Amino acid sequence: MEFTREIYWNVGHGALTLVPMYLLVIAALAVLVWGFRKRLAVYRQGLPLDRTDQLGARIIDMLQNVLLQKKVARVVWPGLLHGLFFWGFFLLLIGTTLIVIQADFTDLLFGIKFLKGTFYKLFSIILDLAGIVSILMLGGLLVRRYILKPEGLETKRDDAIMHGLLFTILISGFVIEGARMAVTEMGTPLAHWSPIGMAVAGLMSGMDEGALRMLHKTTWWFHLLLVMGFIVAIPFTKFRHILTTSANYLFADRGPKGKLIPLDLENEEAETFGATTLKEMTWKDIFDADACTLCKRCQDRCPAYATGKPLSPMKIVNQIGEAAFTDPDTKLIDLIGKDALWACTTCRACQEICPASIEHIRKIVDLRRSMVLMEGEFPGEEVMAAMEQTEVNGNPLGIGYASRGDWAEGLGVKTLEEDSEVDVLYFVGCYASFDKRNIAVARSFIKLCHAAGVKVGILGKEEKCCGEPMRKMGNEYLYNSLAQENIETINGYGVKKIVTSCPHCFNTLAKDYRDLGFSVEVVSQVVFLEGLLLDGRLKVKAEGLSCTYHDSCYLGRHNDIYDAPRALITAAGGKLVEMAKNREEAFCCSAGGGRILADENIGERISVKRVMMAHATGAEVLLSNCPFCLTMFEDGVKGAGVEETLRPRDIAEVLAERLL
Amino acid sequence: MKILVCIKQVPDMESKFKIAASGTWYDSADLAWRMNEYDEYAVEQAVQLKEQVKEADLTVLCIGSERVKETMKKALAMGCDRGAHVADDDCAGKEPYEIAAIIAEYAKDKGFDLIFTGMQSQDRGSAQVGVLAAEMLGIPSISTIVTFSYADGRIEVKRELEGGVKALLKTRTPALVTCQLGLNTPRYPTLPNIMKAKKKELISLPVADLLKVEARMETVKMYFPEKKGGGLVLEGDPGQLADKLIQILKEKTGVLA
Repeated sequence: MEFTREIYWNVGHGALTLVPMYLLVIAALAVLVWGFRKRLAVYRQGLPLDRTDQLGARIIDMLQNVLLQKKVARVVWPGLLHGLFFWGFFLLLIGTTLIVIQADFTDLLFGIKFLKGTFYKLFSIILDLAGIVSILMLGGLLVRRYILKPEGLETKRDDAIMHGLLFTILISGFVIEGARMAVTEMGTPLAHWSPIGMAVAGLMSGMDEGALRMLHKTTWWFHLLLVMGFIVAIPFTKFRHILTTSANYLFADRGPKGKLIPLDLENEEAETFGATTLKEMTWKDIFDADACTLCKRCQDRCPAYATGKPLSPMKIVNQIGEAAFTDPDTKLIDLIGKDALWACTTCRACQEICPASIEHIRKIVDLRRSMVLMEGEFPGEEVMAAMEQTEVNGNPLGIGYASRGDWAEGLGVKTLEEDSEVDVLYFVGCYASFDKRNIAVARSFIKLCHAAGVKVGILGKEEKCCGEPMRKMGNEYLYNSLAQENIETINGYGVKKIVTSCPHCFNTLAKDYRDLGFSVEVVSQVVFLEGLLLDGRLKVKAEGLSCTYHDSCYLGRHNDIYDAPRALITAAGGKLVEMAKNREEAFCCSAGGGRILADENIGERISVKRVMMAHATGAEVLLSNCPFCLTMFEDGVKGAGVEETLRPRDIAEVLAERLL
Repeated sequence: MKILVCIKQVPDMESKFKIAASGTWYDSADLAWRMNEYDEYAVEQAVQLKEQVKEADLTVLCIGSERVKETMKKALAMGCDRGAHVADDDCAGKEPYEIAAIIAEYAKDKGFDLIFTGMQSQDRGSAQVGVLAAEMLGIPSISTIVTFSYADGRIEVKRELEGGVKALLKTRTPALVTCQLGLNTPRYPTLPNIMKAKKKELISLPVADLLKVEARMETVKMYFPEKKGGGLVLEGDPGQLADKLIQILKEKTGVLA
């Protein structure tokens, strides 16, 4: 016997079926297009932003994320449920498309049928399994959303519509199949290629053919109407993520990671700087809201949210979208709230995990820019004072600029002014220059360089703050003037290579300064030291050390440097016990985003929370690689009352103690 | 309304100070410069007054070398309308009476309704310039004000006295006030105002045109305080600290006798 089935069995393949069916399809698609055209007009309220460069890479990225669910699958259980559901539903879509192609085109016009034989058997079993997998996964998602109710998951009308529609579509599909099989396929070998359909048909064994045909026909039309309803619902419900989230992979920020878009400060025509309404944000900032599925992964990882501050990255993204679709003139800063905007540490945990490639940080910094540049507003007077100190002395600590190089006394390090023939310029940064605790780190680094025979120079009093905390706080103007002075100084000495011990300096010099025409190679301290170790120039002895390691946000998520610091720790003999939140999932120390300048007045202290995570590992030493982290942890161990048992240290200090 | 605010550029107090070769002032090498803190309160109050009365012209005056123009730009960015720079490379060598005379000479025929100055400079700290200038101009002056209000040609201010006592004073304009910490929180200039400030009028006047008096006093010597007995830092837990402190008070002072 030929393995196939009659398409349009029982419903008929004449004009009475095809005309209303295709009219419905056309109408549904028309509503879909109309719905999105309306949304398109809303996206267009934003400023232009080119996101069509590197189109090939963008398309590959999109396909990987849509088809392989790469980002979605990073959170195991919901990711797996969604991924498998996606594949089930996607296969059903392909199957339905194949049926349409054969029945209404190849067979109708040319008499060609391909849904037969072995291919049909495979087609049949794959779709059958796709259907049941979809139902099971959807059931899992339903249990999660409506019974387990994970903390922070917002459930709205859209979710009920989506679950309801999808379940009914899938189940009615099996009813149609079962009814058809009960009449035509039961008892034939083909039935085994549709095991679920066969089981459903078995349930209908008591019905006579007339009733089965009646059931089949009505359910067929009902199923069709539901599918049309699904298409229509796409632009008007969260179903839109099928298209918008996919498109957001295409339009994603392609880096370099964590680099902000510079403000045009030369433009004398400009009347506003930064954003106050969404008309001063880009179209992508509005589109991001449409791509958001409220999965709350960002919120789950936000250190500000986790410590009781009024910031949820998810909420901000959606508030901007809401304003775009209701009142485009909404003052976003009032809507979101200043405390929420100032609470962000730009740790990038939100952006890194976002399965929809949404850009949270840029929005927050854009809104901060308008507060600072247009209103002269800061989260507190201490921040304004730090800005003024930086204007005067080139560092936010307010220490006289002339003493910037004093930390190196007695180490035999020269400034480039004294001798510019060096292997590397050590860009020390403000904290390692002035803060007593971090000076120890800078001195360790110099000892390591000298031991490895590297000739290091510093800028001394000619070095200024890289401008990173100011920039992240929104003070683009101050950042810009600091950056230009540093660039001029460094270029003036013909420097070939720079090493930074502060990841914030590193990110700024290596990425942000590029927009200002800076091109000198910049390496972070840990990568530089790892290189010396691998070359055999740096020799350290491995000496037991019970430790855990904190990935700083700006070395980790912003620059994907996870292995070099761990290699250094291992080389030093460190027995590393990882915290639960490590690498991409690391929990910020609280000092990023310019928060190093600000008092933390709302909620729990982030640094204490992180210190407790480190303490829970039972390690004796909390290693980090960033002066801001070290400062926060020195504070945090006291706040947590564990200063006797947990000692914050920088990797460079540990290495310097183990020099051979 | 015409308003004048007088400011001084001073070194950041965190700088490493060295005595200059002359022995009568500090060496200006390696110093970071900024607006005298009390003058920032003066500028802020002047700008607030201008914003209150709407129709006002606010001039900022500063005596010094080319370098002080940077500080003047900050005042312009905060909201002053025009700058009057008295070019003088040796302003540090002038005593308060001369500085006051320069200001008075500049202001005498300009019809300023109000003049704001800081209550003193952070580097010389004489606290004389404002009040001397007012005397020379023949207008009332009120020093160390911590609140300020203006209505219909009259001002009402509070002065800070010893021990937290305040005095409320009223006077007619024209008048001069010297501003004390606590009067206000100086604003951070906005970027559009920084850009506008670059285009505002900033005229330089030679000091010789305005200085018509002779100095009455001279600085004989500037020096760091001699090192006397050092401080003592006690460390340890509070109970022991208290014991140590009592012991020291007993041994070295008579307060517990």
